[in-house]
Amino acid sequence: MKSPPVSISVSDLTLRFPVYGVDAKSLKKHLARVTVGGRLGSPHAGSTEVTALSNVSLELRAGDRLGLIGHNGSGKTTLLRALSGAYEPDEGQIDVHGRIAALLDLGLGIDPSATGLDNIRLRGRIAGLTAKEIEEKMDEIATFTGLGPFLAMPLKTYSAGMQARLAFAVSTSVEADVLLMDEWISVGDADFQKMAHRRLLNLVERAGILVLASHDTELLRLYCNKVMRLEGGVASQVVSIRKLNELLAAA
Amino acid sequence: MQTAQHMLRTGRRGSLFEFRMAWRDFHTSLERISLAWSLAWHDVVSRYRGSILGPFWITISMGLMVLGIGLLYAQLFKISLREFMPFVALGIVFFGVISSIINEGCETFVQASGMLSQTALPMFTFVWRTILRNLINLAHHLVIILGVLIWYGYWSTMNVPLALAGLAFLLLNASWISLLAAIASARFRDIQQIVVSAMQFAIFMTPVFWRPDGFPARHALLVFNPFNHMLEAVRAPLMGKPVDVETYVFLSLMALVGWGLTFTVFALTRRRIVHYL
Repeated sequence: MKSPPVSISVSDLTLRFPVYGVDAKSLKKHLARVTVGGRLGSPHAGSTEVTALSNVSLELRAGDRLGLIGHNGSGKTTLLRALSGAYEPDEGQIDVHGRIAALLDLGLGIDPSATGLDNIRLRGRIAGLTAKEIEEKMDEIATFTGLGPFLAMPLKTYSAGMQARLAFAVSTSVEADVLLMDEWISVGDADFQKMAHRRLLNLVERAGILVLASHDTELLRLYCNKVMRLEGGVASQVVSIRKLNELLAAA
Repeated sequence: MQTAQHMLRTGRRGSLFEFRMAWRDFHTSLERISLAWSLAWHDVVSRYRGSILGPFWITISMGLMVLGIGLLYAQLFKISLREFMPFVALGIVFFGVISSIINEGCETFVQASGMLSQTALPMFTFVWRTILRNLINLAHHLVIILGVLIWYGYWSTMNVPLALAGLAFLLLNASWISLLAAIASARFRDIQQIVVSAMQFAIFMTPVFWRPDGFPARHALLVFNPFNHMLEAVRAPLMGKPVDVETYVFLSLMALVGWGLTFTVFALTRRRIVHYL
């Protein structure tokens, strides 16, 4: 079957984030507000809306490696989560062709009381692999973690570094066309970091599109060919990485 | 190889569109039901890791409850053990299924917040996870039921196909209540306490520990008690008794109205649920 080429197309994406305060989560307070006619305090007492992204548009094709820059809270992670399909746009649309892999949180779906092997299986299932695919990849993943006999032990007996190795190995074992990353992942000791780096590069090369949010401009220069700046949820144009300095200066 | 996938996410485009998206979520979750199964299985395994008997511990505590209440109440109410024991055993086990599907429903989305906020997994997957987890537990409790039914000689008169149909009716209704509880308690954290209390109250208002003979057959507590019908649809066939047509009518209507309501609520809140968490 001929599949359409990998692409991301975002047009006029606006994402508002209702913040349900502690107040709004209590039913009693909600009811009290309703029974007095919804006029207790402001009309939206307890829930404030934060506009995390407004009118973001971007087009990416196979081969594009987009770096996202911006201050904390500028909407980088929100954009990544929207691209992963977790957050629904309030306005505009997101259209992604290709299998998406989001490496946003390595700890996703990890159960500390389960063994390393069980965690690989569980995590693989969540990432969309079938049970059969996981068993096929099991050897490769297990070898890469370098944890050997420890894989049969519960994860809680691992050091933080060992846990990170395992999580990294599973997260990067997926075949993806679109790779979303929040900061370049770097785990383990010096040796492992080198291996991890190669593996990640490999994954990036196979993926059609990379979207990487980072504060590290050197890193972005190294891996990205395009860059976009987010500022309070408003996006700049997508420009070539060669114009990174101009983009930074424009702030 | 997986074929390339297409993901389209858009802003609100009217209620019809919201229903279509909700339906797609439902549909995708069924296509990937094996994921829900893996999660449910993992839940059961991880909850009882390091325990030798695992879920059978609940079975044992349920068994003791059945034994205690069965022996005591049969004596107090002067009912024969052969009549009362299977009644109590089936009541406790299947009411347990109903109440834990509903109570644990409150945790369905809250527990899955990590996965919901960074993957495009269908939300219904987590509803099935809750239900399947409880079915796995039920499989353990079958020991009690089979034990009692065989011991008191009901195995020759019981109607298993009809009981399975009854179980389907039970699940059809418990599942929408579970989903409704999941949405509501993601939004309002008090809901869980309310639901737990309500289910606690319901077990005493439903013929689980007591037989309905003392009441006139058309008493409101029996006729309008959804849990009574859900229970009766499974319990009666296993005890070799017929099920009132009224029970099936009640359960069908309840499933229809309940799913209609719940699916509407789901369609309208779906895109917001992840922000509630």
